[in-house]
Amino acid sequence: MKFLCGIETEFGLLIRDPEVKGASMIRQEDLFRRVRDHLFRKKGFGLIDLHQRAYDEPPGNGGFLRNGGRLYVDMGHVEYAAPECGTILDLVAMDRAGDLLLTEALEELGLSGEVSFIKNNIDHQTLATFGSHENYSVPRSFPFNERGLDPLVVFLSTRQIFAGAGRVGASYVNDVILPFPGESPTVSYQISQRADYVVNTFYQWVQMNRSIVNTRDEPLADPLQFRRIHLLLGDSNMSQYALGLKVGTTRLVLGLIERGEAPRMTLADPVATVRGLSHDLSMEWVVELSDGKTIGAVEIQQRFYEAAERAFRGESDDTDWVLDGWRGILTDLSKKDPTLVADRVDWAQKLVLLEDFSREEGVSWQDPWMESLDLAYHDTNPETGLFYPLEEEGTHRRLVSPSAIRQALRDGPVGTRAQGRSLAIRKILDNPQILDYIIQWFGVQVDEGEILYMLDPYRSYRQEVEDYFAHLTRERGPEEASS
Amino acid sequence: MNGAGFHEVRPQSFVGIEDQDRVPLPTRKGGGPDAPAPKNLDPKPIRDRMLDRMKKVDPKQSERYRQRTGE
Repeated sequence: MKFLCGIETEFGLLIRDPEVKGASMIRQEDLFRRVRDHLFRKKGFGLIDLHQRAYDEPPGNGGFLRNGGRLYVDMGHVEYAAPECGTILDLVAMDRAGDLLLTEALEELGLSGEVSFIKNNIDHQTLATFGSHENYSVPRSFPFNERGLDPLVVFLSTRQIFAGAGRVGASYVNDVILPFPGESPTVSYQISQRADYVVNTFYQWVQMNRSIVNTRDEPLADPLQFRRIHLLLGDSNMSQYALGLKVGTTRLVLGLIERGEAPRMTLADPVATVRGLSHDLSMEWVVELSDGKTIGAVEIQQRFYEAAERAFRGESDDTDWVLDGWRGILTDLSKKDPTLVADRVDWAQKLVLLEDFSREEGVSWQDPWMESLDLAYHDTNPETGLFYPLEEEGTHRRLVSPSAIRQALRDGPVGTRAQGRSLAIRKILDNPQILDYIIQWFGVQVDEGEILYMLDPYRSYRQEVEDYFAHLTRERGPEEASS
Repeated sequence: MNGAGFHEVRPQSFVGIEDQDRVPLPTRKGGGPDAPAPKNLDPKPIRDRMLDRMKKVDPKQSERYRQRTGE
């Protein structure tokens, strides 16, 4: 089974100055532009777009980065799209490189005391939510229909028990559409950030009708060979371990569906399941199936794990790591004690921290301070954020080293087309004679010349990129090339 | 990518990835699960330091954090 995955993260921005409250949106957009311009125009971290990519992406709105990923302003957020990664470690390093890139930009601009990028998915004051989108490449033959996707719905609805990032409180923004049975209960803390905002099982668009499985068909590769599974259900993870397990288990389940070996079961109400599980801190997590029977979410995950164990054990070190981690986390979750998984799971880590604070300081869960601490957990500034010290101390497990994350700012992942894209970007940045270029996920064009298509995301295109630029140099002649 | 390892285990093979492209990048020193833990100059236990850090969080900052709906 091939693995190819990418993550897109929309960041929030916390402005600490209480005086800008009324104009914070305008101030945020101004700050986004300053950060973007600093990274592309001053630091040379990538190539700013020269062309109109889409109606809402004019020239200069963003660009591709040296590592093959992308940074841009989208829907009022700075969005970082990690490049296509062929291993879990690469994905985790590339994802965290985005945090580092933005945090260091604020520091270099002298703004880190004033503002922080927040890697979360909600604010506590408005109806807003914003995404962490997962992308998985699967063959075109993948059974992308309701019957084929039923197992994926079951898996994703219950995956939050180890992938959720946790949040203080709840949002009943969707109760107009989907009222909770009885009155909306008071929720001090829940395990997922996004659960309250999911209203549909399948849908193709992404705003105001968020679904468990997004059905948009935009492969950004050869459409006859590939499909891109685009998921917007998940939370932004601070935990490297949770991120690795989230994408690793999801890819294995997609592989089971491809092979026709996924457990067959359907939920009575997938959307209600997503929200109900998230609100259940007892960790009982009882789920109703479409045949009227009930089952625990841990047991559902256990069935998927066992099927994946049979199908994929020994296929690669990545696969074996996922299987071991999956088994371990389910064993610990079954004991119904969040402290047992706090070293690997964001929602449990945050809960342990906040419960300790509440107890020590006598601050109730309804105090706005708890919401502020919730945000601080996702603060990407290592000086002020609550998560990074836990990782630094070894309290929370990590998968990749700080040096690997720093390297991921500069070098693309190996063995996917992001490697070729990264190489092309470096060659353009190193050659001031190149005045015009178009970089896309699926190809590169320089000075209105030939287009180098990269339609197979599993190929590096390294040699093709070398040949492309060698040809360009020859066409220009030795005089121009050497000047 | 070099420098990244699952608990000191380096993946050896990757199904579907071009073998010739698994060229290791230069190794860098420092960090990582297999590296010595950084020296901690603060002798207070991590729990105490986390409580101190949490106390410094502005209790009102969530009221100022207002974002646009994204996607």
